[in-house]
Amino acid sequence: MTPSQDEAVADILVRWQPYGRAGLLPCLIDVQNHLGWLPPDVCAQVGEVLGVPLADVYGVATFYSRLYTQPVGRRIVRVCDDVACLANGSPALLEACRTALGLAPGETSPDGLVTLEVHPCLGHCEHAPCLMVNDQVFGRLDAAAAERLARAVRAGEAPPK
Amino acid sequence: MTASADRPTWQAIPGYEAHLLRRVGQVDPTSLADYEAHGGYRALRAALEMTPAEIIEMVKASGLVGRGGAAFPTGIKWESAARQPVTPRYVVCNADESEPGTFKDRVLMEGDPFAIVEAMTIAAYAVGAEQGYIYVRGEFRAAYERLANAVAAAREAGYLGKRVLGSDFSFDIELRRGAGAYVCGEETALFESIEGKRGMPRQKPPFPTERGLFGRPTVINNVETFANVPHIVLNGPDWFRRIGPPDAPGPKLFCVSGAVERPGVYEGPMSVTLRQLVEVCGGMRPGRKIQAVLVGGAAGTFVPAEHLDTPVSFEALRAIGASLGSGAVLVVDDSVDMLEVVERITRFFAHESCGKCYPCQLGTQRQWEIVRRWQAGHHRPDDAERLQDIAHAMREASICGLGQTAASALMSVLPRMVTRFEGGNHVSASDADH
Repeated sequence: MTPSQDEAVADILVRWQPYGRAGLLPCLIDVQNHLGWLPPDVCAQVGEVLGVPLADVYGVATFYSRLYTQPVGRRIVRVCDDVACLANGSPALLEACRTALGLAPGETSPDGLVTLEVHPCLGHCEHAPCLMVNDQVFGRLDAAAAERLARAVRAGEAPPK
Repeated sequence: MTASADRPTWQAIPGYEAHLLRRVGQVDPTSLADYEAHGGYRALRAALEMTPAEIIEMVKASGLVGRGGAAFPTGIKWESAARQPVTPRYVVCNADESEPGTFKDRVLMEGDPFAIVEAMTIAAYAVGAEQGYIYVRGEFRAAYERLANAVAAAREAGYLGKRVLGSDFSFDIELRRGAGAYVCGEETALFESIEGKRGMPRQKPPFPTERGLFGRPTVINNVETFANVPHIVLNGPDWFRRIGPPDAPGPKLFCVSGAVERPGVYEGPMSVTLRQLVEVCGGMRPGRKIQAVLVGGAAGTFVPAEHLDTPVSFEALRAIGASLGSGAVLVVDDSVDMLEVVERITRFFAHESCGKCYPCQLGTQRQWEIVRRWQAGHHRPDDAERLQDIAHAMREASICGLGQTAASALMSVLPRMVTRFEGGNHVSASDADH
């Protein structure tokens, strides 16, 4: 199904159309939540519907680190390596995820399932060291727990609690 | 092992009463009825009996200053927006909490979301705004959902919308999500983001109270700042001033993290010392010693162990060249290599600089390069001078707080970093161009 025929995308565009340019960021977020990323033809549609030049759509889409203009894994593992997590052993978490996923930070698995990212502070420092799988936070992990988590994500299973 | 904690990670410092955290963990954050049963919306009802000017006077008299980091007097901000002859006016809640080591706003939004909605409604009544926005950090999904639920429930019950509680005052709130940009916590960058542009800061003046969101007079406050407002309206400015030292009145949330036994959000007066905060957290892990405390997050400064008895009031911290900023108190123990910590901080700013102004765009890259060169074992005799030069340029010439503070943590440990390289590992000027 091409995005232009996608009813959910059409609904999102209708919802944000009255806002014009001020609807751009929430519209892109909603579209990405539905499609997983922001394909070029959808960006063009968004610009047309909201009255925003395509260059400006891309200006915004590429400004924010959580918006993706290239395909990305359906599951994104974001490992925090900022100061609070560093002080609690985050390098071991990252290493465990690299090994279990077989990915370097920034890479996506060939089947398109998982992307690994190193992330600045996730704002959950009381649970350091932590990582996120999509929108879910996992905290106070040691390397073994991080590895179990990453293996489950790689296998397409629900992350263990 | 999810982030839903096995024990509360928020509490008042022993001996002090919780005000901001009073309902967190005690009420169902999705229930308006529970909020009302625990004192919720009493402040708004009281506020609607007063004139807007009376509320502004109360907030001014309380001495409340912004809890997002800049510590600007809240009442003066409100008064300035209320005096503008232009309408519409806006009230914006800055919930883009992104300072490394800071997580208090998230705890408030997740645990007591109606309080933020009520406080914004009071602010809107005081300054004559009919529309509000809450801009929530993209990573904070639970906080976003709780706030969205709270706004919908408040609207349903007549606390938001046309003619709030039957008064002549109308106000409503829309939520916006961030999408991963630290700079959007800067107030004018946040406006740009809501307006559908790249989140780049604006030149000031004009200040937001004059020309803010959509070019209109705007009051923008941090989540924790708003959370103080209902307490001030209900208990009065004198009550507020009795909490904490004279130069820093009111309750404050401290985000204590790092190498302590029980990291979390702790509420107390700003007369507490850094050492007390560490002790409240159960102290250091066994066998570990404090190397330094990063106060104020990545934009803050390292306070060495010998200054742990400093109270966290504005004056006392200023005297040792530090600032509480957003309330982050991040403890680094002796097992961590300070050079690695500094590399994280300089990388963070290089990554998050928006690129609008050159001092920050270039300066953040340069200081990260130099720190990475140190990690590779190469030090040059003039590194300290170069870094001081970069820091000066960023501090004085950057448009916004990001660039103005991007060197402060590194500068606070520069003498130690330089000492570390004395007597070896120097490269000659011809080996490297930076």
